[in-house]
Amino acid sequence: MIVRALSAFALGLVVIAALLGDWIAPFDPGAQDLAGTAMPPDAAHWLGTDELGRDVLSRLIAGTRTALLGPALVALGVAVLSTAIGLLAGYRGGWVDSAIMRAVDLVYAIPPLLVAIVVVGVFGGGYPLAIGVLIALSVPADTRMVRSAVLAQRNLAYVEAARTVGLGRGRILFAHLLPNVLPTVVANLLLSFVGALVGLAALAFLGLGVGTGAPDWGRMLAENKGLVDLNPAAMIGPAVLITVVAASVTLLGDRLYDLMSARGRDAGRA
Amino acid sequence: MLDVRDLTVHDGRSRVLVRGVSFRVGPGETVGLVGESGSGKSLTARALVSLLPQELRSGGSARLDDTELLGRKDLRGVRGHRVALLMQDPFTMLNPLATVGTHLVESLPGRADRVEVARRLAEVGIDDPAVAGRYPFQLSGGMRQRVALAAALAKDPGLLIADEPTTALDVTTQRDVLALLRRIQTERRMGLVLITHDLRVARQACDRVLVMYAGALVESARSADLDAPAHPYTAGLLRSVPSVTHRQPVLLGIPGSVPAAADVVDRCPFADRCGWAEPACTEHAPPLVDLGDRATACRRHGGIDLSPPELAEPDAEPVGDARATLLDVADLVKVYRSIGLRRTEHTALAGVSLHVGEGESLAVVGESGSGKTTLARAVLGLTDPTSGRITLGGLDVTSYRRLRSADRARARRLVQCVFQDPYSSLNPAHTVGYTLAESLRRRGEDLDVESEVDSLLDLVGLPASYAGRRPVALSGGQRQRVAIARALAVRPRLLVCDEPVAALDVSVQAQVLEVLRKANRELGIALLFITHDLAVARQVTDRMVVMHRGRIVEHGATADVLDAPTHPYTVRLVQSVPDAAPHTEGEAHVTQ
Repeated sequence: MIVRALSAFALGLVVIAALLGDWIAPFDPGAQDLAGTAMPPDAAHWLGTDELGRDVLSRLIAGTRTALLGPALVALGVAVLSTAIGLLAGYRGGWVDSAIMRAVDLVYAIPPLLVAIVVVGVFGGGYPLAIGVLIALSVPADTRMVRSAVLAQRNLAYVEAARTVGLGRGRILFAHLLPNVLPTVVANLLLSFVGALVGLAALAFLGLGVGTGAPDWGRMLAENKGLVDLNPAAMIGPAVLITVVAASVTLLGDRLYDLMSARGRDAGRA
Repeated sequence: MLDVRDLTVHDGRSRVLVRGVSFRVGPGETVGLVGESGSGKSLTARALVSLLPQELRSGGSARLDDTELLGRKDLRGVRGHRVALLMQDPFTMLNPLATVGTHLVESLPGRADRVEVARRLAEVGIDDPAVAGRYPFQLSGGMRQRVALAAALAKDPGLLIADEPTTALDVTTQRDVLALLRRIQTERRMGLVLITHDLRVARQACDRVLVMYAGALVESARSADLDAPAHPYTAGLLRSVPSVTHRQPVLLGIPGSVPAAADVVDRCPFADRCGWAEPACTEHAPPLVDLGDRATACRRHGGIDLSPPELAEPDAEPVGDARATLLDVADLVKVYRSIGLRRTEHTALAGVSLHVGEGESLAVVGESGSGKTTLARAVLGLTDPTSGRITLGGLDVTSYRRLRSADRARARRLVQCVFQDPYSSLNPAHTVGYTLAESLRRRGEDLDVESEVDSLLDLVGLPASYAGRRPVALSGGQRQRVAIARALAVRPRLLVCDEPVAALDVSVQAQVLEVLRKANRELGIALLFITHDLAVARQVTDRMVVMHRGRIVEHGATADVLDAPTHPYTVRLVQSVPDAAPHTEGEAHVTQ
């Protein structure tokens, strides 16, 4: 309970920071103060400064935008694509299912982060490309989960009743099956968010993804790793934020899944 | 021998699930614990062997000879050795990776050899010693239940608790297993607590019957005395059991549904559904009053007449030949082929021919594996037959997939279905009103959907306010009536009913069957009524076909087939119906 409340509180703060970043940041995140580089935390700079004298706290606040937006785009893209493909494969069955699932198996054999590093590295980086690659590589796993959720539902009597009543395939898919696989979709959505948050941070850490100079948690982690003796807060800050956001989303996602799957289900069948 | 006093079961939030149950079982005595779902009968049994679900707690006392069973830590010396539990589902209670012999050897005390295993199997009627080397999946349901019984008896317990041991079995197998239990129990002079939802089974197999309702005992009587029940609930249960020997003009159920035990702790639990209830009944919980050799928890006992009304009407004359044929099935064959290394074939239908006239009702009866459900699915277009022909209203519907879409839509409007499981046949995500409206729109007419939904609900005896509810807020019987309303919304001419009441408690079966009879008689909708229950078939249908291993072995007017069966299989089926009469006094061991 208390952990969930803390998670919600932490996420709330991060979202507010993303929305109000410019107003609440004490300094311009890009402003350099070459006289005060790598300063430990003090009254003016709560988390100190980095090696170019930029305020770490302001950069962390500015970084919330890319930290939330990128993973959100990845999660949404993955959810829409994997749900559509998974519904089709699970309900149609036959050769359509076989073709889709073999393609899924193929992508499964590829180590995702490695491919992302190679692709983004070869094509010269860029945030949109990193997002696109992460979507493409995450869709197969979620497709498989949506498909198995559909398989569990498709032979239940209510689906057969819908066929007997004479409903079309589209209606059965979207009005009947979709609401019942939605808990799985939402749970996957939040897990994709977490995966993308960590994945994008890792790419940024490697210098891929967001452009140079942009305030980004993953990039800050890389830039400030040399300051561990002078101003450890500059490195620990982004690391802690990435961990806290990832953990909070996971915890709240679990709860959301429980609530959604409890709705409309039988408490107990005698 | 077993003396249970004031047994209670609470859940984690201290809500009462079983309240103050007391009873005794003597050596060699069979006591039946009868109740519908939610009555607490299985929890009572599980409390006795400390197998309650984790968050539940039991209270009170249960002494087996001089040993207290409740609240023990050292259960291993008691469970299995002195008291054993036989569970319901023969398909999941054996370990699929262990042979029959392994199951027995690990249960038998000391070092068991092959001879002992064979002897134990012979005791439960398995004479072929080779069975010891087989795996559970190679055995039928009845065989598995026998193996489970042999394992339960391995340590020679003095008391056996059997929780619905025959519910998952076919009627003919049920009869054999009940007879076996009875024989073994007599031979071993073992106490037996038989838990069942079926009053007929309890009366036939038990010396004494305890009736449970909403977590409490409401009546206790010798089987022979149950013809004159002393509690209105028992009377209602007896009346709800449909008759296999005659057709009843009105099927009597018990209105309403079983309340949660925690909601009725301070009142008579049955008062809301009881025709004899008076205000005083809801003031406090009536105790079980001892009346000599029986006991009742009705505070008005003796003052009310509970004898069942004698009602019978002549069986309807079959009219099929006189009317136009609606459904014609000719020489239908369905073969399932497995995919895999060893290709096996299973013939579900081996050439079935039948017809249903407009407005007629035809029963298809048979045991599991007889092909009756495959037949229904083929008629509904949910599976394509291997060969043969299905004609519906002049339209060849053998393969729905090959129909032109206009014809398919026409066929879908001619035939609708009521499925067996009321818990999965409604989409849990949608309200009753949404489901019905969706079906109504398929009728293709311009209509006032909202008022049509109301009249559909009225037709199946549900209040209009139910349109806003989701399935989770409905009981099984109510869900099944919504499923019927959904089917009727399309105004079909044929309604396929696949075991529509098999999953329902007996007291609510009647309401559902009445709705189906009304659809048939008043709306003129033909019924293809698939059931394993001959009594239910007698109440609803004019004509009957009996299926066995994918073939029709007998057909004729329902009354003729049931009163004078000719095929040996039908004869066996009819004889296996547990009748309402108690087992003969000669076998009974009445003990104190």
